Amino acid sequence: MIEPFGVPFLARALAELALLAVICGPVSVFVFARRLSFVSDALTHTVFPGVVVGFLAGGVEGIFAGALVAAVVTAVALTLLTRGGALSDDASTAVVLTAMFSIGVALVSRRSSYTSDLTTFLFGRLLTVTPRQLAETAVLAVVILGLLLIGARAMIFRAFDPAGAAAAGYRIVGLDLWLNLVVALVVVAAVRAVGTILVVALLIVPAAAARMITSRLLVMAAIGTGLILLAGYGGLLASWTASVDYGFALTSASAVVLVLVFAYLALLPFRTRTRPASTGRSPHELVG
Amino acid sequence: MNWWDDALHRATAEVLLTGALAGLVGVQVVLRRLSFFTMALTHATFPGVVAASIIGVNILLGGAVAGGIIALGVAALSRRRGQNAASATGVLLSAGFAIGAGLVATQNGFSRDLSSFLVGSILTVSPTDLMITGAVLVVVAVVLLACHRPLTFTGFDRAGAQSAGFATGAWDIVLLLTIEVVVVTIVPAVGTILALALIVAPAAAARAWSTRLGVITALAVVFGAASGLGGLYASMRWNIAAGASITLTATALLALSLLLSRARWRPAAGRLASSAVPAR
Repeated sequence: MIEPFGVPFLARALAELALLAVICGPVSVFVFARRLSFVSDALTHTVFPGVVVGFLAGGVEGIFAGALVAAVVTAVALTLLTRGGALSDDASTAVVLTAMFSIGVALVSRRSSYTSDLTTFLFGRLLTVTPRQLAETAVLAVVILGLLLIGARAMIFRAFDPAGAAAAGYRIVGLDLWLNLVVALVVVAAVRAVGTILVVALLIVPAAAARMITSRLLVMAAIGTGLILLAGYGGLLASWTASVDYGFALTSASAVVLVLVFAYLALLPFRTRTRPASTGRSPHELVG
Repeated sequence: MNWWDDALHRATAEVLLTGALAGLVGVQVVLRRLSFFTMALTHATFPGVVAASIIGVNILLGGAVAGGIIALGVAALSRRRGQNAASATGVLLSAGFAIGAGLVATQNGFSRDLSSFLVGSILTVSPTDLMITGAVLVVVAVVLLACHRPLTFTGFDRAGAQSAGFATGAWDIVLLLTIEVVVVTIVPAVGTILALALIVAPAAAARAWSTRLGVITALAVVFGAASGLGGLYASMRWNIAAGASITLTATALLALSLLLSRARWRPAAGRLASSAVPAR
């Protein structure tokens, strides 16, 4: 069961996923509580033009900086547009997502072959993670967890009682920007290695699954991290077994996501003993 | 040689029809804040489309089945206590996309299909695609027109509609399925990102100009078709991907609308405020 992970590239992939598990467990709790699923989905798309511009400007080394700039621009733009009130938050997220992604596609489409770039972007290169990328992810993990620890108390207050937080003197816009920036950094840390599909899943599914068992935020974060570790191990093993033993091409990123979703579905029958935190809002207010 | 034999003529007709169709349903999406649901539908119909093309049935059928599962799944999962619709939508989006991508990876000609799914291939629409889009446009227009009273009532005053005897849950499902049909129809032609852009941006732009639903809908249809035409022209003129340039045109229209309508409404709002002061 651990034998395939003796292969260096698989061991590195598992290490990358373990690092992401440590970050995404806690961050996904905030994504869940603040209903930022759409924002995190949008961020995974909007870093694309940054990746393209970074690559055109500085080659492979430039990708990281480009993605970082694009992610920060998106986080700021989303916070401002949502606060501005001219558009509802879901519409502004959709518009920023499509516009920025299209800028990336327009830039890439002027080169001869752009389909393989897009594919890499979607799936990432989980199996070709380099030690350098691992180091970058580790540094970002420390930064992200630091930012999260500093802001956690205020952000939890803001998530569950916006009016109370504002009355207590917290700046809501600042807190929203803070959280958007944290999510943006996670996306930057993860997207090149694991691709957009996996990043979205890592930011949304763990907390949603953990919420089935508990309503305590710390426990949710811990369970989320555990689930990602489990899914990372199970997914890579399934992908390896399918490809090597059965000659069936199972993309590693897809396999990890599917194991994570199976975990979510498996936890569905559980019942939490706590009082329901029902908000009584329309099931169609999907964001907000 | 028939006028329809030219790929560019077909593409022009397709962007006009698609823009109108997306604008029509987009008004409902924007007013009911269903953008994320629409995004999830565009991604989650993907495995249905791939599976249908593998087993050789019509891809629209596959997409429609997958979309129906997603719509019902979101409704069911978000009813669970503690869970919310945003995360349920996100979970189904990741699951659908991962299954679709996994299915594609088992086939050959892998990267080309995937990117055409994302950014669409509007220059290769067939006359059949055109006919289907036209038919769906008529059907959706009829449905929205026939059901506009309960849909509007439910959207703006849910409790009121319920006490007036409307089955709000059933009307929600009518709306979700209408959106699903539109998404399934336009995604194979224009791709997921462009579908989302054409549904949300023109309707949001139209919303900036008026508060009357009829006017908004008419404007959204016009804006949608105009973005399609303008984007197609820009795509040929500067040699960039058609889907991307149409999206950017729609975004530019929205930005322009927001700026201009703000300039237009400000004095009007001032007048309203002063006339609202009761005369003594």
